[in-house]
Amino acid sequence: MSEAAVERDRMAAKAAGPSWPRRLAPPLLTLLGVAILARMAVDVGFSPTRLFHGAGRLGQLVGTMVPPSSGGQFLHILSALGETLAMAFVGTLLGALAALPLGILGAKTVVSQPVLHFAFRRVLDLFRGVPALVWALILVSAFGLGPFAGVCALALADIPHLAKLFAEAIENADAKPVEGVRSTGMAPLGVVRFGLLPQVAPVMASQCLFYLESNFRHAAVLGIVGAGGIGFELEERIRVFAFSVVAFIILLYMLSVAALDTASRELRKRLA
Amino acid sequence: MLVLQNVRKCFGDKVAVDDVSLRFEPGEFVGILGRSGAGKSTLLRTINRLTDPTSGSITWGALEITDLRGESLRSWRRRCAMIFQQFNLCPRLDVITNVLVGVVAERPLAPSLLKCFSARDRARAILELEALDMASAALQRAETLSGGQQQRVAIARAMMQEPDVLLADEPVASLDPVNTEAVMDALHQVCRQRNIPVIVNLHSLDIARRYCDRIVAISRGQVVFDDVPQRLTNDALVQIYGGSGKWSRDAAYAMEPAA
Repeated sequence: MSEAAVERDRMAAKAAGPSWPRRLAPPLLTLLGVAILARMAVDVGFSPTRLFHGAGRLGQLVGTMVPPSSGGQFLHILSALGETLAMAFVGTLLGALAALPLGILGAKTVVSQPVLHFAFRRVLDLFRGVPALVWALILVSAFGLGPFAGVCALALADIPHLAKLFAEAIENADAKPVEGVRSTGMAPLGVVRFGLLPQVAPVMASQCLFYLESNFRHAAVLGIVGAGGIGFELEERIRVFAFSVVAFIILLYMLSVAALDTASRELRKRLA
Repeated sequence: MLVLQNVRKCFGDKVAVDDVSLRFEPGEFVGILGRSGAGKSTLLRTINRLTDPTSGSITWGALEITDLRGESLRSWRRRCAMIFQQFNLCPRLDVITNVLVGVVAERPLAPSLLKCFSARDRARAILELEALDMASAALQRAETLSGGQQQRVAIARAMMQEPDVLLADEPVASLDPVNTEAVMDALHQVCRQRNIPVIVNLHSLDIARRYCDRIVAISRGQVVFDDVPQRLTNDALVQIYGGSGKWSRDAAYAMEPAA
């Protein structure tokens, strides 16, 4: 058979569409997926009746939330909110300070030895798997209740994340200004100061602000496990069924999260 | 006097600079020609040691450049200023700080790191900028300037280093004709006023002929021509750039063929 004939046959086979096993694969895989989902639903005890009853009770709870009220503790709640903001701020700051040297060491352009770089990055990956909540649970048992454990938990959880982001900011920096500064005979510290820092500092500041936003949200959850702040107040009110105060705290918290996000977004826009 | 003897630079098994021996006299304006990838940039970079040569010797008077380490190497880099095709300024720093970068190597590091420069240094930076007609942009960020303006700032930075040698790696390759002339005039003036060797990588024959006292041509890492521009004949050009030589018939306007 000539080459042209072989090619023609192949085109004809293609035009006839895929073979039977190929056509059957998508519906069979879909069925399998549905079966797995159903089995999971059984495992988590999902049932329409439970959903119905739960929804009813949830409705009652929401009813008791109206109208939201500070319960005469407005200043107390406000100071708890301030404590959460302070936790987020100090936690981010400590995390960023500790992440800075790690980020510099983690940058391929600084530590070019491939084995060291690989090992260092994998260690960071490992610690990135531990969320702030887990750190908080451990640290509350170690340091006792209160915001100190929360601050440490936030900082510890942020370090591997920020170190990776900082390392990538340094790796992505333009090499040309660095070389320009190096060509003037400046010492290595000066090369970093004038060639690298002006490029990476705004990127890093922007990343820190982003983590401040996220930490403010995390800090409330940490409060619930005993690490102080607004989460702690929230958990106490839920425990005594003071749902109108709970609603008040949640609304106030949502407003302050939105305010912080907006302020941080504006700042980050200016840094870019 | 800057002397290169049997300088070689290999990247893996690729030879970028092959056994180059050259002498550069004070006050000489030397153009280096060659196709892209011929080893011009690498040669220049070995002179101020941004790249270390694999073998050979580079000397400035009695000073062996290839042996320098640490402090003494940095001191040589300060004396051997370099201009780059992409200017290599710090885009987010203002122009005057970019110029003052040229003086940091000579000053105590700590105050410089905090951008504390003496009034004298600042005044000198302004004067260097003024000489290049750039003083009015002193407080602007470098990234807001055009290419030609940035290159003039880069020259001002090099002047702050009070160099004994000036290297320029394709300084006008990304500039329009007007800026090309301004930058080449500035480099030429530096050469005459300071009486230092200025070594410029070029890819335009026209510019090389107009400005250079001497032309060195490099092909595959080796020096294939080293003489006054008047001697750069058609035959010599064919040897430098290869090809049939048809493109070089009107040699006054001949440009490097796209590599």
